[in-house]
Amino acid sequence: MGPLIPLGQIATGWDFVIALLIGIAFGFILESTGFSSSRNIAGVFYGYNFVVLRVFFTAVIVAMIGLQYFDYMGWIDLNLIYILPTYVNSMIIGSVLMGLGFVLGGFCPGTSYTAIAIGKLDAIVFTAGLFLGIFMFSELFPLLENLYYGESLGNVTISEILGVSNGLITFLFVIVALIAFYVTWLIEKRVRNRITEYKF
Amino acid sequence: MNRNYLLLTALLIILSGGLLFLPEKSDINRENPEDLMWDIVQPTRYLSTDKVAKMIIEKDPLLLLIDVREDYEFEEFTLPGAVNVPFDSILTDYADEILSIEDVNTVLISNDDIRADQAWVIAKRLGYKNIYVMKGGLNCWITTIIQPVEPAETSPITEFELYKFRLGASAYFTGAEIPEESGEKKKLNVTRRKKETVVEGGC
Repeated sequence: MGPLIPLGQIATGWDFVIALLIGIAFGFILESTGFSSSRNIAGVFYGYNFVVLRVFFTAVIVAMIGLQYFDYMGWIDLNLIYILPTYVNSMIIGSVLMGLGFVLGGFCPGTSYTAIAIGKLDAIVFTAGLFLGIFMFSELFPLLENLYYGESLGNVTISEILGVSNGLITFLFVIVALIAFYVTWLIEKRVRNRITEYKF
Repeated sequence: MNRNYLLLTALLIILSGGLLFLPEKSDINRENPEDLMWDIVQPTRYLSTDKVAKMIIEKDPLLLLIDVREDYEFEEFTLPGAVNVPFDSILTDYADEILSIEDVNTVLISNDDIRADQAWVIAKRLGYKNIYVMKGGLNCWITTIIQPVEPAETSPITEFELYKFRLGASAYFTGAEIPEESGEKKKLNVTRRKKETVVEGGC
């Protein structure tokens, strides 16, 4: 039955329309979970607010479990899902830069747009910087190309590398996520007791 | 801690734990690639045009001819009793209905045997049984069955027997007259003279 577009259930021309609808839904959820607030985003790094971690981890584990049950029921064929290639170098460097941007700017690329939507001035400055960064990266790309494509592992999944089933990986991931939820809840409680000037 | 969180935690653990017990996706019907490679190189997957012709003439009840050419080609001409399953529709439910008929010998035909071969590989991989390809396809059918070439005089007797069969098959499929053999005996009209009855003298 699925994936819908590769199997021709939905014509290819509709992908932009679907992307638009999903984008609206994504932006709405980002905003309603409070991601447009820089305090929530930066809170992860200072240990007083882990809502970002909880929301994303929850989204990931729900999607992981759901997709595998869908695959089992025959509603979607996971073999046809596109898997992004893994470039080890650029992933590590990119993650560090992303984290730095997070804590310095107080937004991630997606949340900066939701923050613009509710009229935050700092988000406009952040987005201008974002486009400047994209422009600089594009201009410098010939210099960075080897680094960018270095250590390519191809379209691999964790279960392929480790040789275990997807189910086991998902189960372990869920356990890790739940432990993370509990631990961050403990950290939050301790840190918040010491903070007096900030109301949640 | 909120009771809802505990409930959700338990739900996630149960759901993800259930994944551990999900059986591997069943692909039992599909033939595995090694077996398929083995089957592909077997010459037994081909039937000669003579064999197919014989089966049609004998009205073999186990014969299922599938024409994998396009429908307009199929309408122009095909073999008697053939069913049209265009190559493009081989993965549809319609093709599945026909290919999954059990206990018949399915023979795939196309203009040459390339298209039929491709269809054969797909059908085989999908796990259908008893599928064959008519060697040479309809082009070969024309040159062997419809317009057979007389073997050279020095050919072995089996060639002549095959030629004779093909002539017969050609007549069967085209409705043409079989040319009379030259060595046949002609029936002669023998007129016998009537015995003259002699008037016997009386007394």
